[in-house]
Amino acid sequence: MMGRSTKYLMSMGELKRKDHSLVFRNDKGNTYIPIEGIKEIYCLNEVSLNTKLFQFLSKAGVTVHFFDYHHQYCGTFYPKEQLVSGKLTVMQAQAYMNKRMDIAKAIVQGIAGNIHQVLYHYYKHDRKDLKPFLDWLRKDVPVYLAKDLDSKQVLFIEGEIWRKFYTSFSSFLPADFVMNKRVRRPPDNPMNALVSLGNSILYSKTVSQIYQTHLNQTISFLHEPSESRFSLSLDLCEVFKPIIVFRTIFENVNNRKLQVEKHFERKLNYCLLNKQGKEIFLSSLEERFNSVFQHPVLKRKVSYKTAIKLDAYKLIKLIVENKPFVPFSVKELK
Amino acid sequence: MKVTGTLVNYYFHCKRQCWLHANKINLEDNSEDVRIGKILHELRAEGNKNSEIAIESIKIDKLTPDYLIEHKKSDANIEAAKWQTLFYLKILKDKGIERKGKIQFDEKNKQEKTIIYVDLTEDIEKRLQELEQEIIDYCSSATPSPAILDKKCKRCAYYDYCYI
Repeated sequence: MMGRSTKYLMSMGELKRKDHSLVFRNDKGNTYIPIEGIKEIYCLNEVSLNTKLFQFLSKAGVTVHFFDYHHQYCGTFYPKEQLVSGKLTVMQAQAYMNKRMDIAKAIVQGIAGNIHQVLYHYYKHDRKDLKPFLDWLRKDVPVYLAKDLDSKQVLFIEGEIWRKFYTSFSSFLPADFVMNKRVRRPPDNPMNALVSLGNSILYSKTVSQIYQTHLNQTISFLHEPSESRFSLSLDLCEVFKPIIVFRTIFENVNNRKLQVEKHFERKLNYCLLNKQGKEIFLSSLEERFNSVFQHPVLKRKVSYKTAIKLDAYKLIKLIVENKPFVPFSVKELK
Repeated sequence: MKVTGTLVNYYFHCKRQCWLHANKINLEDNSEDVRIGKILHELRAEGNKNSEIAIESIKIDKLTPDYLIEHKKSDANIEAAKWQTLFYLKILKDKGIERKGKIQFDEKNKQEKTIIYVDLTEDIEKRLQELEQEIIDYCSSATPSPAILDKKCKRCAYYDYCYI
C-alpha cells in the first residue's frame, strides 16, 4: 500500500465520476484522477459532488474528508464497512470494560516518549533549557502513570504533557511562531493555524487507516467514546502528532519554508494559512506520511502512514490475544 | 458456524489464518497475491456461464460430467488444496452428485505436474467428518494459536498482523 494514495483538492471545483475513473473540474480545466490506488480524498475547499460519485467511491472503498473555510474538519464520507467482525467488536467492548486504563496509559506514555525524541534533537543542538522538561518526560511521567488512575486523571497528565510541550517552543522556534496557548476554532496565530490543520489531517488519515481494519471507530480508550465522533481515531493518532505533525511544522518553520508574512492570512479574530502556505505545508506533511523506515520487527520498509495501521493491528492483538499494547515509538527505530 | 472450503484449506496451510478468517478478521483484501488470484478467477469466469457454482457454504470453480475442477494460482500448498477439493467432493456426494477431483495449478514451483487428481475413499470420508468438527472446535476457541515464523509467512496477508 505504498505510493500516492491520497488526493488533496485545494481549489474550488466539481469532482465527478467519469466512466471508471474520477475527474476534478475547476476553472483551469479537467484533472483526471485514476481510481486505482486512491484510498482517500481531502476536500479543503468548496467542492461539488453527487450521489453517483459516492456510489462509485463506496464500491472502491475510498474515504472522503471535508474541511470548512477555517480548515476545520467537518466530517468524512465513510463508505459501507468492508471489514466487519462481530466477534472483534464484542471483544473491543470487553477491552473497554477491562483494560481501558492500560490502553489509555500506554497512549499517554507513547506521547511522552515521542515528544522526548523530537525535542532531544534540539537539546543536542544546544537548546539546553529544554533539559528540565526532557527529564520530566523521561522520569516523572512514567511514575505518574504507574499509579492507580481513572480516565480523568490520565487525561489530565496528557494535557500537562501537551501544555508543557507548547511552552517549550520558545526555546527553538523563531519568536513569531511561538504558540503561547493552544487556540482552536478558529486558530488565533500562525502556529495554532498549523497545529489545527496538521492535527485534522492526521486525525482523518487515522480514520482512513482504521477503516482498513476491523476495529470499531466509536469504542475508544483514552478519549471518552462518544456517538458523534470516531473517537478511536483520536486515541490512535496521538502518538503520531509529535513525529508527523510537529516535526513537519518545526522543519518548515526553522528552514523558513513557511513564513508569517508570506504564507498566512490574518483577520481580526483568526489566522489561517493562505493558498501557497497550505500547499507547502500539506505537501511536506504528505511526504512525511509516505516516507519509509526499516521496521525493526517486521524487517521491511514501512511508511509512517502504514505505521498508524500497524498500531491498529497492535490494538486488535491486545483485544484478541492479550498482547500488551505499546504504541509506535520513534525510539525503537534507532 | 459453517465450515467452508477456504477454511479447510487454511486449516492445513496455517491454523492461525484459519482461526482469524473464521472469526472474520480477514485481511486478504490488502494482499497482492489474493488480488492476482481473484483476477485469474474472473478471467476464467468470462464467457463461461456455469463457471462458478455455489452450494450451501461452498463455491466450486467448475463442474464437468466427470470432474470437479479446482483452480489454484500456485502449487505452494498441495496438501491444503487436496483436502479443500476432497471436502467439496464430499459435500457434492452427500447431495447425490459423485465426481472425481481435479486440481489445476497456474504456476508450478514445487513439482512438475500442473494437474493432480484426487478421489474420495471410505477412510478419507471418515477423516473429513472428523476434520469438520476439529475445525469448528478450533475456530470457536477463545484465541488463535501463536504465530510461528515460517518461510510462507512473508507472503501472507496476515504477516503484519501476526508479527507486529
